[in-house]
Amino acid sequence: MQVGLQHYLVVSALLFCLGLLGVIARRNLLIIYMSLELMLNAANLAFVAVSRFNGNLDGQVMVFFIITVAAAEVAVGLALIVALYRKRQTAYVEDLTTMKL
Amino acid sequence: MNATLTILEAAVVMLGLVILLLDLWMPAAQRRNLGYAAAAVVGIIFAGSFLIDASQAQYAFGQMYVMDSLALFFKRFFLLAAMAVLVMSVEFADRIPTGISEYYALILFALSGMMFAASANDFILVFVALELITITFYILTSFQRSRLPSLEAGVKYLILGALSSAFMVYGIALVFGAAKTTNFNELAGAIRTIVGQPVYLLGLLLVLVGLGFKIAAFPFQIWAPDVYQGSPAPTTAFLAVGSKAAGIVLLLRVLFSAVPEVTANWTKLLMIVSGVTILYGNLCAIPQRNLKRLLGYSSIAHAGYMLLGVTAMSIAGSSAILYYLGGYLFTVLAAFTVICVVMREVEGDDISGVAGLYQRSPLLAVAMTLAMVSLAGIPPLAGFFGKFLLLKAVIEKGAVQPMYYWLIGAALVGVVISFYYYLGVVRAIFWSKAAESQTVIPLSRPVRFSLYACIAGMLYLGIFPNTLVNAAIQASKALRL
Repeated sequence: MQVGLQHYLVVSALLFCLGLLGVIARRNLLIIYMSLELMLNAANLAFVAVSRFNGNLDGQVMVFFIITVAAAEVAVGLALIVALYRKRQTAYVEDLTTMKL
Repeated sequence: MNATLTILEAAVVMLGLVILLLDLWMPAAQRRNLGYAAAAVVGIIFAGSFLIDASQAQYAFGQMYVMDSLALFFKRFFLLAAMAVLVMSVEFADRIPTGISEYYALILFALSGMMFAASANDFILVFVALELITITFYILTSFQRSRLPSLEAGVKYLILGALSSAFMVYGIALVFGAAKTTNFNELAGAIRTIVGQPVYLLGLLLVLVGLGFKIAAFPFQIWAPDVYQGSPAPTTAFLAVGSKAAGIVLLLRVLFSAVPEVTANWTKLLMIVSGVTILYGNLCAIPQRNLKRLLGYSSIAHAGYMLLGVTAMSIAGSSAILYYLGGYLFTVLAAFTVICVVMREVEGDDISGVAGLYQRSPLLAVAMTLAMVSLAGIPPLAGFFGKFLLLKAVIEKGAVQPMYYWLIGAALVGVVISFYYYLGVVRAIFWSKAAESQTVIPLSRPVRFSLYACIAGMLYLGIFPNTLVNAAIQASKALRL
């Protein structure tokens, strides 16, 4: 079987949905954060595949930007989660209830 | 290639770096005054922006970056907003235990992100600029590390912000897959061959999800009340004005520069989003007792009003949005400056904190009252004329599509509901008996100046709207409408 663009895009869509499922279903902040990274990487895969099959390098450049931005986001995000853990001793979303109507 | 076009952004980034460096050599007691210096330099950059001629669109970085009248309009808008926010954050400095200079620097970096967003002409720059804004705001919202609400606001913004940027990036990937380009000019040119492809439309829809999150439009508004409530007041102000305006300018660029023909088919979707956003924001604001949370819901409603101008799909509509944003800038900054100063002793930002404000400080009371009246849309203030322009732009379209009349109905219902809670704040200021403290509130000279400027802006734009309306029409001509 010839592996074509569609196959890559289907895998990337699956990855994206798995990530989304993780964000919605899991309660632990770290797992949610991991799932978010999965969603970003789904986009990366789609970019690279499209670039490769069209001989257009723009997508690969975009992937570098996404990786860089994701790294910055992880640095800030983990720092935030650590700060929250120090204060509240929890990493579960259901405990974030200081502000309610 | 014309990198000198980015001179305003470069100046702002340099200023941020200089602030960080100065912090190293400055005695701790004087660091808070760096904020005034930063505000002054931002003011100089604002003045410098009038030397730039943007009547012709000029491009840089392989057409990724565009400098046209719309970009310049928004750059000036963001610079003004940052000035007021910097003055406000000096006032806030005593509530931030360490790292006030970093707070100023981060505001400046977010400002540079917004200015890049104003010039985005390519999905790559859209993404990078938005992330520059969003990641900086993660830190700005959680800057009071010792307060749990601030941390919680930061984490909530982090999760939902990252989720929305994941949607957006995936959307961009799909658009790129269908159109083989991310440049707005090329997308607008290539549109006919790809406009019907479901992948392309899905991609654009996901991009709109990301932008809808930024402006807090229904159904992506859930983060707004919590984040507005928990963040430090200057951050909330910058979020309400700068971040929202950045979302609006990107929305205008994507909808009307990149994919005008798709947008024309999405009028009904946008109308529903706009109507529901207005009603949701106004209805949920009614029971709120926390001022910042109240303004959070009100900012959702205002995102809905601005979307009215998008649904009109005309120069009149988009120039009305720009005018509305101009009025909104002065109004919201006045309100948050007052909140920032008054809520120094009060924990919880409850409305009772402004009780009897008129006895304590007439200037603050007048500024807050005018801000509330302008947000409610009562003449002769800027908020009224902005809403009038938006509704006028929509009514002009009503003849072709009766659904516009329903939208106008929703907007008017929203305005009437909003009188109730805005005037509730005014009542607390003037006619509330239970004032906890009667001491006079000291005001520093820059805060005084900033409040006078906001009041003057609200009144001037309301009474003599012509200057800004003409500038807004000029700016919207940069869009493919």
